[in-house]
Parts: sequence; C-alpha cells; structure tokens
Amino acid sequence: MPDLIDDASVMLLGVLCRHAAELLGASSLPPRHIRVHVGDMGIELSWPAGGALAGAPESEGPAAQRQPGARPRPEDGGSQAQGQQIVCAPTVGAFYRCSEPGANPFVDLHDIVEAGQQLGILEAMKLMNPILAEFPGQIIAILAEDGESVEYGQPLFAVAPC
Amino acid sequence: MFSCILVANRGEIALRIVRTCRELGIRTVLAHSSVDRDSLAAQLADETVQIGPASARKSYLNASAIIQAAIQTGAEAIHPGYGFLAEDADFSEACALHGLAFVGPPAEVVALLGDKTRAREVAAAAGLPIIPGSPRECGTTAEAERVAGEIGYPVITKAASGGGGRGMTVVRDPREFSRSYREARAAAKVLFGDSRTYVEKFIETARHIEIQILADGSGNVVHLGERDCSVQRNRQKLVEETPAPGLSDELRAQITTAAVACARAAGYVGAGTFEFLVDQDDNFYFIEANCRIQVEHPVTEQVTGLDLVREQLVVAAGGRLSVTQEEIRRTGAAIECRVNAEDPERGFLPTPGVLSEFQPPAGPFTRVDTHGRVGMRITKDYDSLLAKVVVWAQDRHQAIARMERALGEFRVCGNGMHTTIGFLREVLCHPIFLDAKHTTSLVDQMISPR
Repeated sequence: MPDLIDDASVMLLGVLCRHAAELLGASSLPPRHIRVHVGDMGIELSWPAGGALAGAPESEGPAAQRQPGARPRPEDGGSQAQGQQIVCAPTVGAFYRCSEPGANPFVDLHDIVEAGQQLGILEAMKLMNPILAEFPGQIIAILAEDGESVEYGQPLFAVAPC
Repeated sequence: MFSCILVANRGEIALRIVRTCRELGIRTVLAHSSVDRDSLAAQLADETVQIGPASARKSYLNASAIIQAAIQTGAEAIHPGYGFLAEDADFSEACALHGLAFVGPPAEVVALLGDKTRAREVAAAAGLPIIPGSPRECGTTAEAERVAGEIGYPVITKAASGGGGRGMTVVRDPREFSRSYREARAAAKVLFGDSRTYVEKFIETARHIEIQILADGSGNVVHLGERDCSVQRNRQKLVEETPAPGLSDELRAQITTAAVACARAAGYVGAGTFEFLVDQDDNFYFIEANCRIQVEHPVTEQVTGLDLVREQLVVAAGGRLSVTQEEIRRTGAAIECRVNAEDPERGFLPTPGVLSEFQPPAGPFTRVDTHGRVGMRITKDYDSLLAKVVVWAQDRHQAIARMERALGEFRVCGNGMHTTIGFLREVLCHPIFLDAKHTTSLVDQMISPR
C-alpha cells in the first residue's frame, strides 16, 4: 500500500475495482479469492478448479500480481458448456504452447483433442514436462499465455469432454 | 543486501522470516503448498507461488519446484527456515549452482555437520568431549553389539542422517540390542534414505544445554549464550529457557568456548546451534550441531535484543555480524513454551481441525510467534506446532509467573481440537521444574502414571 493515499492512487483503485467487477459479472459463479491492490497494481481473482469458467471469459491468476494492471486473456471461448474440465499446471514453471519458438502451437482454440494428446509444455529447471490431455474433448479456452510463469494448479486449458 | 528473497517454508517460521525481511525492505516471495495458500505468511508476503499440493514431498521438500519458483520470480536468495530442506546439503548445493544464495552454511558444512558421525569427529578433533560411543557407524550388528557392550548399557542408537530427536532408540537390555539395532537401521533407511546408525552411551538423567552461534564469512564467530531445553517428550522440545538455571559461570564458559571452537573447526557460517548434554556430575558432552535457525531462537532474541533472522540474512548477503563477542549482553530470563495441537490425554495425539477461536496472549514482555488464526485449518500434513509463547522477565521466577499468566489467557478452540496448553502449565508448576532440578526425564516421569 502507498504511504499516502493520494488522488492518483484513489483513481487507480477505482479503475482496478471496475475491472474486477467486470470479471465478476462475467461469471455465474462466485470466486473463491479476490485481491485488489494498488502498490504494483494488479487484480487477482480465482475460482475453484473445474468451476472457473462457467460463463467467465477471463480468469486471472496470481500472475497478474507481477504485471501492471489486469491483462485480458489472449483467447477465450464462445459457448461455455457445463461439465468442462480445467487442465491445471502439474508443477511450477514456464508454460509453452509450442514445441519450440516459432513452431505452431500444439493446440489451438476449438481443436478436438484425443486422450494423451500433447497440449503444451511446462518447463521447470530446464526439464520439459509435456502437458497431456487426459480425455478426448474440445479446447474451449486457453488460460495462460505462451511463455508465462505459472504456479502449481494454475488453470492452463478449459476442455469440454466429448 | 538482497532485494528479493524466496521463503521456502510454512507456518510460524515462514511468517517470522517474512517479518524481518519487511523490516529490512527485502521483497518476499513465499513458496507454499495448496493448503497454505491463505496462510498469514502468504497474506504478508509480497508475492506467493503455489509450488505443489499438500504433501510435503511434493511441495516443501520439492527442491526443483522451490528453485524454479525462485528463478521465475527473480529471488536472489532462498531462506529454508527449519526442517524440510533447511539442512539438505544437496539443496544448498543446487541453490549455489543456480546462482541463488542459500541462507545457511555452505553445502559442504551442512553435509559435514548433518552427518552426525562426522560431526562427532569434528567435535572430538576440536577438543570437545563427546559421549562414549562407536567412532563411526557400525558396519555389522555384531560390531555394534560389541561396541554397546564396551560402552555399557543403557545405550542409544542414532541414525547418522537423523538428528532433531528423530531416529533414536534407547536400549536398556543387552538381549534386545541386536533386534533393536536392526530395526533402527531399517527405520533410518525409510526416514532418511540412509541406514547408517551409530551407538552412544545413553545418559539417563541429563540436561540439554545448547549454544547459539553466529558466524559470518569474515571469520567472526560469536556465541549468544545457552538455552536449556531439558523439557522434552520423545526427544521433542516442549519448553526452552535462557539462561540455563543453576549452570555455573565456569561451566557456561567451558561449554560456550567449546561451541565456538567447534563452529570454527567446521568452517561454520550463519546461525547455528551446538547441542550438549550435561550429566549429574557436571560433565558436558557434545551431541550434535544444527545448521539452521531453530524453533526456540526467540528466547535468545529476548535476552540479547538481537534479531537472529536479520543476522542470518546479513551474513548470507556477504555482510558482517552486527556485534562482536564483547558487545553481546544478555539480560533477564526468557522462556518459550511450544503449544501443539495435540491431546495430552491421548498420548499427545495430533488433533487436526479448524480453529473457531484463537486468542493468543499479549501484554508485558509477552511474544507469540504463530501462524494461527480463526478459520485456519490444521491438517495432518505437517507438524502440530501451533504457537510459540515466549516471555521475558528480570529473573526466572518472574518469567515462570509471566508464562503462567500468558498461557492462562490463551484461548484456542476448534471442533475436536486439543492443545498442550494445560500440560505446559503442569510442567511450569511442577516442583522439580520450579526448583530447576529437572532433567530430560521430567516429562516422561510426569506422563508415566497416566
């Protein structure tokens, strides 16, 4: 928190709260965790795994804390079907959508994937851990950016089983 | 000084470290498991990284996840707290390989003193008296039994990679030795991944006296006096105090001098504790060295006015200790009681649950280090330490009275939850404890009629 509550901080807080309200309004489910702060900016909202995206176009993780402001997610899905599963990061590390820089991503939005199909890579300590689909389905949302530092359990993909 | 530190621990010690970092203007990143996401340390840290699920093996013992978290958050150093990876030489080395400062001694010193048989050798070479025992771990059960016979029963078997009261078994009957020794080796293999076990004479009635050491990279090694930790159950400390009551100045000087000599001989850097047993004839023996900040460090802080975590961080950043030996002053007496979420009436069984009421004591010279708060869930995943109540007073008598007052106002409630507060109050008013005639067998004596 800044030592002095000045006008700029008050305005910034208002902007952050409006963003938070938009995110909240877009989801039919109450979040488990909300944090709005002004020092180093940022909004942080999280929903329980599996329920995050019923109606929510954006799901902000603690990554927002390290970057100024709340970034809109790069791609989000159209229909938000019930029963979708969230693929979460199995450990802490860097999330990559492609096998190497410049290559095509493993999967894109709306792709149909098979069980065992590789969706991405989680790199930790120079080890490339493949992220695999556990069941056949359709990619409804991609929840982390290519190259983003993620934490254990952070949502990476929303997949509708089919 | 570092601009950003990763705290790789949980509970009260994580909060403790974060607090000093905040005083020093150091940005903190807390690496935590999923169940500690809403902990007080997580709330106070500048940034948090969830590194794994509840299981310690996949979180707080997950070296690669911790180092990855440090790398991706830009932390320059890792403070490992106590327990978990705090005395893991491989972890210390891995930090160094990745350009991260490890808040603790160099890896080779951690390895040296972490192997309890090598630590005994270092101590003996530095002229310290050590408990009669096998020079190294015993190769065969027959060899161990021969050594035990030479030493004389009762004996205690100790895992070379153990320590902290773990992996130790007392054997009183020679006929039980070979079975006991084989079981001890098997248990050590499971607990520590190393079956090596050594044998020592078991000193039945002794006082546990430990010396707090601080050392920096410029060759300054100082001691901050002793702590008496004789009140133990199953070799886990319950009550610690300083100064050690009834310890003569001469004996204190001998033990502190020995500890400093051992620290120098080992090349120690950072905060460390050298532990001794003092028998009924005032003979003292080195038992082990702990290369970490200890649970009971607050009692030393209360009488010296020094922040031991601060000294650790300064040293780890390459700085010098803030005091010389001549500048260290100790005043008054301090006592710490460890409040655990356990039921003394059922063999100190851990009682997990959710805290519905949590009102720790406060007031004059009363300090509580705790991560507890209303709504917090205590799970079975970690140890049962809930809070450390620490008091200071001008003398031991007043400190005991103050502790009794403090424990009396400590309110902890949770469905099915118990604490050891009542038992601690019994210890405090026990005539043997009040008279400072107690030894490491006090708690066993109190429990046995139950």
